[in-house]
Amino acid sequence: MKWLAVAVLPITLILGAVGARADLTIEITQGVDNPTSIAVVPFAWQGPGPVPEDVAFVVDGDLARSGQFAPVGRADMLGMPSNEKEVFYRDWRAIGAEYLLIGRISASGQELRVDYELFDVLRQTRVHTGVETGPVSEARMHGHRVADAVYEKLTGIPGAFATRLLYVSVTRVPGGKDYYRLTLADSDGARPIVLLESREPVLAPAWSPDGKEIAYVSFETDRPAIYRQHLATGQREQLTNFPGLNGSPAWSPDGNSMAMVLSKDGSPDIYLMNLATKNLTRVTRHYAIDTEPTWMPDGNSLMFTSDRGGRPQIYRYDLKTGATERVTFEGAYNARARIAQDGRNVVMVHRQSSDFHIAILDLVTNRLHVLTSTQLDESPSIAPNGSMVLYATKSGDRGILAAVSVDGGVKFRLPSREGDVREPAWSPYMNR
Amino acid sequence: MAYVSKTFAAYGLVILTGPLCLKAAAQDYVDLEAEQANQSARSYPATSYGANSAPAGTAVTPPPRSIAPAGGQNQNLGQLFLQIQQLQQDVMRLNGLVEEQGYELRKLKEQSLERYVDLDNRLSAAAGGATVVAGSQGAAEEVSPVVTPPPAGNSAGQAVEQPGEGEAYRAAYALVRGQQFDDAVEAFRQFLRDYPDGKYAPNAHYWLGELYLVIDPQDLESSRQAFTLLVTTYPDNPKVPDALYKLGKVHFLKGNRERAREYLDGVIQGYADTSAARLARDFIAENY
Repeated sequence: MKWLAVAVLPITLILGAVGARADLTIEITQGVDNPTSIAVVPFAWQGPGPVPEDVAFVVDGDLARSGQFAPVGRADMLGMPSNEKEVFYRDWRAIGAEYLLIGRISASGQELRVDYELFDVLRQTRVHTGVETGPVSEARMHGHRVADAVYEKLTGIPGAFATRLLYVSVTRVPGGKDYYRLTLADSDGARPIVLLESREPVLAPAWSPDGKEIAYVSFETDRPAIYRQHLATGQREQLTNFPGLNGSPAWSPDGNSMAMVLSKDGSPDIYLMNLATKNLTRVTRHYAIDTEPTWMPDGNSLMFTSDRGGRPQIYRYDLKTGATERVTFEGAYNARARIAQDGRNVVMVHRQSSDFHIAILDLVTNRLHVLTSTQLDESPSIAPNGSMVLYATKSGDRGILAAVSVDGGVKFRLPSREGDVREPAWSPYMNR
Repeated sequence: MAYVSKTFAAYGLVILTGPLCLKAAAQDYVDLEAEQANQSARSYPATSYGANSAPAGTAVTPPPRSIAPAGGQNQNLGQLFLQIQQLQQDVMRLNGLVEEQGYELRKLKEQSLERYVDLDNRLSAAAGGATVVAGSQGAAEEVSPVVTPPPAGNSAGQAVEQPGEGEAYRAAYALVRGQQFDDAVEAFRQFLRDYPDGKYAPNAHYWLGELYLVIDPQDLESSRQAFTLLVTTYPDNPKVPDALYKLGKVHFLKGNRERAREYLDGVIQGYADTSAARLARDFIAENY
């Protein structure tokens, strides 16, 4: 019963060295067949001293990671224009670039300004211009926002680069207690910030719908309890302390309540907590295990994992009618659903023969596709634009994060430099 | 003895009603599912002892409560508890079976409806098509007796993509990528029924040949037919060397080593620079 072990118990740990940080690096393992070629010219710095951040490099990396773009190497560029007058389309056609992105960075005080222009090389026209401003300390975020804009302009789908990831890294201490670190990072794994460090297990990180708060389960009081934590202030609050299981927090789309799993009344069941009054509403009542709740984006129903049919499968509970219906029928094991913002695609852990893979179910066509070919895949989390799925898997004997596009065509891995990484949670869109 | 049975009855009562009493006293929440159950009179048979229950085979199972009085009652209660557990497991298993059969039924209904609609469409299309052909022939005779419209379904060379064809092909191919091989076989068969002379028909034959080898149980004869169709109908198709190599393999799997060797040698001689020829050489090196 793997899913129960994940939900309830501190998990067995794998060898790794003690280290203060778990930086993620990115390796693209599979891209689309004909990626769009784009040249991202280093943005011109119009200020004193060294440039605070190579913003173009961030954009370049984001676009490459999407698998749909093949950025041109800087060494191949025949010029480094920073405004339209300096652009010679011939130079870019010669090296096979279909699009060209140039930009300028300037600063006034602690405020950074990035102006950028996107050109269609074949049609020899400017197709987009934009400006990003914000504090110098958030310079990488500017790059992610530029990448979002370019991605949306060229694919029609909003980008999800200016988002954050939460994950838990575990560093084993030989002969001692392990370190658990709840870490926040950019969507490319850069700038990791440790939000919580504990010698007891930390699990099930989850985002509030506005991206300003998180919730997680921590064993720091020697038994599992659900906490919420405000990212900007660091202020945190313990929400539950019931005997037995307290797990799988899932913020409702309106932000007012939280679905969770409690076993205080016997077997694990789904409850809703009103976050203002802390009143509990019991949602499921079954002697089977009901766990891993997740919300439909409209907030009218919940999906959860239950073995009420003898084996773990995904069910949907309609909060208005009170009806429960089974969602998954293919495969002997389907668990830990996460639903895309369009309310149509559901990603889950799926067992086909003996291996656990990530699969995606289209609720309209009822077609299930297995997305991954790695083994022991778990904890899928879907990007807010619904394009990529982040999940935890094993590489050798280490826990790493990996990502796959919802059509299975693009794959990349985010191995950690040290320790094991697990339970990724992709943030919603961040409002500025 | 009277005392014993009385206590047993009392304990039994506690076991069965206890959780309800406890809940009535301690419940500080609204019980959505129970309310729903009351409203629709669709109560889970198990709800009444939910609080005492043990989810089968999990780490969170609370141990059976040890009942103070020793001896027979204890044992009886233990047995009762085990029986309840067993019943719960059975109910769960049956519940799953009912869910799955309900799903299969819904799927079958949808499929039979689809088949009916498809058949209906094709019958009406056939009826319509016949009149059109007759009409055009009549017209042709009147205007210029020499020109006759070419019959449908001729050679491969002039295949053009027909409306809807690319989409149907991609849908079938997506099933291959999704490893839903049985569905993929059905989809490609349907594709060939719908677009027998389509642009992608050779590819569909090739994929069918491949798919018959990976479905369970393997269908060697159908695979052979599919590859043979490709090779004989579309001799200039770029997939032909691969299909010939596969034919060699299929004959080998069918136990006909000589025939297999003919195909493999044929690929090596006829298409020397292809990857199929390389594969054929490897195959011969391994198996002959």
